[in-house]
Amino acid sequence: MKTGQAPELVTPLAIPRPTVAAARRIPRPGKEIVLSCLLLLLLIMGWEIIVRLRGIPPLIVPAPTVVWESLLTHTRSGFLIRHLGVTLAEILLGFAAGGLFGIGLGMGVALSPLLRGVLHPYVIASQAMPKLALAPIFVMWFGFGLLPKVIITALIAFFPLFENTVTGLNEVDRDARELFRALGASPWQTLRWLRLPNAAPYIVAGLRVAMVLSIVGAVVAEYVGANRGLGALIISSQGMLDTPLMFAVFVVLLVLGVVLYQVVVLLERACLARRYRA
Amino acid sequence: MTAKIEARGIFKVFETPSEPVQALRAVDLSAQPGEFVALVGESGCGKTTLLRILAGLVLPTQGEVWIDGTPLRGPSQHIGMVFQRPVLLPWRTAAENVLLPAQVRGLPLAEASLDARSLLESMGLGDFLDRFPRHLSGGMQQRVAIARALLLQPSILLMDEPFGALDAITREQMHLDLLNVWSARRPTLLFVTHDIAEAVFLADRVVLLSPRPGTVRQVFQVPLRRPRLPDHRFSGEFAAACRDVKHAMQGNGRGQG
Repeated sequence: MKTGQAPELVTPLAIPRPTVAAARRIPRPGKEIVLSCLLLLLLIMGWEIIVRLRGIPPLIVPAPTVVWESLLTHTRSGFLIRHLGVTLAEILLGFAAGGLFGIGLGMGVALSPLLRGVLHPYVIASQAMPKLALAPIFVMWFGFGLLPKVIITALIAFFPLFENTVTGLNEVDRDARELFRALGASPWQTLRWLRLPNAAPYIVAGLRVAMVLSIVGAVVAEYVGANRGLGALIISSQGMLDTPLMFAVFVVLLVLGVVLYQVVVLLERACLARRYRA
Repeated sequence: MTAKIEARGIFKVFETPSEPVQALRAVDLSAQPGEFVALVGESGCGKTTLLRILAGLVLPTQGEVWIDGTPLRGPSQHIGMVFQRPVLLPWRTAAENVLLPAQVRGLPLAEASLDARSLLESMGLGDFLDRFPRHLSGGMQQRVAIARALLLQPSILLMDEPFGALDAITREQMHLDLLNVWSARRPTLLFVTHDIAEAVFLADRVVLLSPRPGTVRQVFQVPLRRPRLPDHRFSGEFAAACRDVKHAMQGNGRGQG
């Protein structure tokens, strides 16, 4: 996923709005929504029919009804919720830590050319390094608990926010800078009234990307040496040959992802919409 | 009477990778309090550079700018500036944009808000105080920019081709509105344009700059009475004044009709 992408709701000063922005605008609820739901229903029915007609064993592909049953059973017993709680905690903690660190360091780098020069190669290197590859060593260092997953998630959430913060603070219209100079504004005033507001939509777009990546980070980190969490559950259901449970976890992950993403989008609208909507 | 703003012996050389480029050479310029001076020249004659030097945004390579007999050492509260583009902050409403200079100077905002409001009202934007720039037309945006430049009641207003991007009809209306604001507040106004008719219609004096390096070629006193009215554009005096400037501009051997 590209992290330097420009945000959805904005027209930052003098920065051309990317054309993708229009395509990504969420359509008004109406005909499209109804058709989308119908399509979903159709797909699930098709899946059910194919599995039954061809007698595909649940071990390979369980029918939707079987998945549903597994989902209900494990939700009622509290089993899924417990693991969901663990993964959610990892996601949110990692997202918050990585996000804060990314925004903070991004501001530091944007404001200090020296810091930027010194840190730039490290930042690139740390981004080029696949963070998930570090999971085994974190398990050795920090054990099987929450901490190594939170660290991995934070490392992953860090970059989009770092990058977007730097971009947003630096890509300020030249004429606007000149205006602030002509007004006799101090660097702090320019930061407060020009660069930060200019960066806000970028940062929020970074949050959106970071949230999606955080989910991936937490779940995959759990694949490596965890006994709790949805990722761990996927691995253990593989071991137990309980494919319906695995699919049930997929469903939970899907819902979790959509909900978390929507929370960020709603937050974005609440904070920025009035001032930044095009 | 000391000049409100005076530039003496301004040279400006830009260092480029290939060779230094002389943008301005020995420019002398002054304006009296309340005077409306237009700086006219072909593109590339350094008029924008000159204006930026007068605004304290750029240091001249040689020479000095004096405001009320004091040397200028950087951006000043006494100078308001209007750029070619409105340069409004898109996340601020019209009124909030006008308020910016007061915020930067740390002035009491309650008072400044009233000033911002009345300024916008006087420019016909009373109904648009809480609109964001994206909901305003180009002309309205430039009005907001003018109001912003006037908020701190500067004694000098510098304008850099402020109406260049507007259509002809809007531009003529802006001319009248600008003249109204100017005659009500009487700042010393330096107005850069490449449009001779615009310069003649607005200004008391038209200063013609010749290009590469920019230097003052000739200064014209505009014979039209004030207040300037739209019909002045069709008068013989107006046409004659425009023709004089045009001929002088072409006389440098580079221009064409």
